[in-house]
Amino acid sequence: MRYSALSDVRVVDLSHFIAGPYATKLLADMGAEVIKVEPPWGEGARRLGPFPHAAESKPPERGGLFAFLNQNKLGVTLDLKEARGRDLLTRLLEDADLLIENFAPGTLAAFGFAPDELLAKFPRLSIVSISNFGQDGPDRDSRLNDLVLFARGGWTYPVGEKDREPLTPPGSLAQYVGALYGAIGALQALAARDMGLGRGQHVDISLLEATVATMIYETVTFQYVGAMRERAGKRFAVGPFMIVTLKCRDGYAGLHCVTDKQFESLCDLIGRSELYIDPRFNTALQRMVNNDALLAIVEEFFLGRERQWLYREGQARAIPIVPIPNVAEVLEWEQTKARNYFETIDDPILGRVRVPGTPLRLNSHRPAPARPAPTLGQHNGEIFGSRLGVSPTQLEQMRKEQVR
Amino acid sequence: MTTVFDGKIRVLDLSMGWAGPLVGQMMAEMGAEVVKVEDTEHFDWWRGSLSVAPPEMQPIERSSVFNTVNRGKLGVTLDLANPSGVELVKRLAAVSDILIENYSPGVMDRFGLDYATLAAINPRLIMISMPSFGSNGPECNARGYGNTVEAMAGVTGLTGYEDSEQLYTLSNALGDPVGGLHGTFALMGALHERARTGRGQWIELAQVEALIPFVGQAIVESQFTGEVLPPRGNRHREHAPHGIYKCKGENTWLVLACESDADFRAAAEALGLAQLASDSRFLRAADRKAHEAALDAELNRALAAIELDDAVRRLTAAGLLAAAVNPAPGVLSDPQIAAREYFVAIDRAIVGTHLYPGAVARLPKTPLDASRPAPLLGEHTSEVFRRLLGMSDEEIAALENHGVTGTAPRRYKQAS
Repeated sequence: MRYSALSDVRVVDLSHFIAGPYATKLLADMGAEVIKVEPPWGEGARRLGPFPHAAESKPPERGGLFAFLNQNKLGVTLDLKEARGRDLLTRLLEDADLLIENFAPGTLAAFGFAPDELLAKFPRLSIVSISNFGQDGPDRDSRLNDLVLFARGGWTYPVGEKDREPLTPPGSLAQYVGALYGAIGALQALAARDMGLGRGQHVDISLLEATVATMIYETVTFQYVGAMRERAGKRFAVGPFMIVTLKCRDGYAGLHCVTDKQFESLCDLIGRSELYIDPRFNTALQRMVNNDALLAIVEEFFLGRERQWLYREGQARAIPIVPIPNVAEVLEWEQTKARNYFETIDDPILGRVRVPGTPLRLNSHRPAPARPAPTLGQHNGEIFGSRLGVSPTQLEQMRKEQVR
Repeated sequence: MTTVFDGKIRVLDLSMGWAGPLVGQMMAEMGAEVVKVEDTEHFDWWRGSLSVAPPEMQPIERSSVFNTVNRGKLGVTLDLANPSGVELVKRLAAVSDILIENYSPGVMDRFGLDYATLAAINPRLIMISMPSFGSNGPECNARGYGNTVEAMAGVTGLTGYEDSEQLYTLSNALGDPVGGLHGTFALMGALHERARTGRGQWIELAQVEALIPFVGQAIVESQFTGEVLPPRGNRHREHAPHGIYKCKGENTWLVLACESDADFRAAAEALGLAQLASDSRFLRAADRKAHEAALDAELNRALAAIELDDAVRRLTAAGLLAAAVNPAPGVLSDPQIAAREYFVAIDRAIVGTHLYPGAVARLPKTPLDASRPAPLLGEHTSEVFRRLLGMSDEEIAALENHGVTGTAPRRYKQAS
């Protein structure tokens, strides 16, 4: 999907895997020209699944994640260990506004592209570096994966059953959070340049700090109340409210019952209006003290009902109840269909695949269909040949030498 | 120039809770002047969140979460049920660049504050609306909060232990901050476009749609395989060990992940478990996956005798993926986070000094500033109306007498 908001912005994208590529996808979806620069053997995410067939080709051109994260980008290949590769990257940077990268700190400089030197050479350029721990600090060069990131950032400790090990969040959610901070950081640098600074800067994003930033219940609330939040099983936390995931007849439903009004409506839903004036439950404080007894009553009611019934009847009473879907059900949810949220890409390798569309609707504008993610080196001719004037003979020579 | 916006951008923030206010907070970090508008009756419901203190304790000024996501804003009160309150919002919108709102769909229309009306007053105005599920569609009026948005995005359905069907909500109401981050990104893009076109625009951001991309990989996979795999808990599809293990003492949980055979041999060595590395059940990744329960039991047995700090030190010194599962104090004292001085100390009226999360993006030439406190209810009403709207002290006093503004809550209410 493309909007025109950033149509005058040129991005050179050296990033790989998730955090960098999702940041540049956000920029591309908003209209920026993103030139994705990969090594001749392709960036690592091309080898990540999911793949449509059990026996994928080796090495694979791309999997489903790569296809989703790299829509709307132009793809070129360059070997930055070679002089010609470095020279062509330098020429791409001449009229770029942004260089986005998520190498380990120091890697860019090792390729001969030290951020300070680039900023001196190209005053309008800003560099956004997204890294595990930031560009400095004692753990700068340590390894990181999703399990460690969630745990260290505070997301994991309060999730799961009290009498067993904490439960990690799924997937790579925190890397996407880091990507958003990276994309915002890119536009912050552009805004600073265009609103008076007149020049670019090197933006430093730490995935760990991005993860901590979204965990304010732990860090700030802990200091205010002086108590740690412990795992509370199906409950979001122990407190004067009921935010719970409850088993029902055909799956699970989420309930968010916090205010007196929502509690009154909940009592009506379960046909027990006397509970609203029951001294065990008639104030927020009492509902906290007697939470187990109250939850037992609500749980039993949910267990005998279907998700959709609970959703309809709950929402009709202004109680936030939702029928918890699996990802396949999200694809078929009437609300996403009515809003044409999912987008079908006609991927040259994977075929037709439905992927999440951009969440932004600018002036209710309906975006054009997305361009599929580039095949490896797909736009070498267009970018190096037409734009930078590399001759067909030289391009062919480069292809043979695998410099690009 | 010291900040991104250098005071050249003004934001009118009508939003409540977390997602919308986070947008305003991030604008304030960039040096925008952010005017937060609240009603003395329908004030931001996050002021009541997590607090059960009695009224004389001023509980609405003691909300940890409100005081975090409203930092750096000016606080103004206006009754939007009163026509003069709505009129004043229009006058503020006339001198603002951005308006943020996250009411349910249709509420701004009922106030007479729809984008068409506001754009007629100020064509340069950019307005962002952030409903939970969208402003149209059959389910647009369903009520959603961070956790229920997270569920409808498909995240909750992926969150569970490998050996139980119970699903769990995440610990941080992820739908809220992600909605706020996308909202900030959208506004930055719209400001960039306005510099070129001279015109504002209306941005709609459904919070659930902002979160669904985070599970895009699983959504694509469900189409390729035609099935949805159950949650994997702390385990990995291919690697083992990959989990959370109990160390010596209370609340001492260790994450450990080995992504190769070499990782596993090094981990066994570091923990003094060389015999595990040569155990035929654990030689290669496929072996370890096949005997994962036995492997986890061996690790738990050994780690029960090792202090958490010691285990983390040994494993990370060997270059392995390991860390403490940080509870709140661990996050606040994490050496890497501390070395980069991430948290900022802020002295806020009523509650005193605490550490708050700092700005994430480090912009060395125009640093973000997350160190200004959240406003008290109506703290800046007089100053803002005098300076921005040229109102006299008498006019401002009349507003307060008519209940259009104020600094005391008209009633106490709870979070929703």
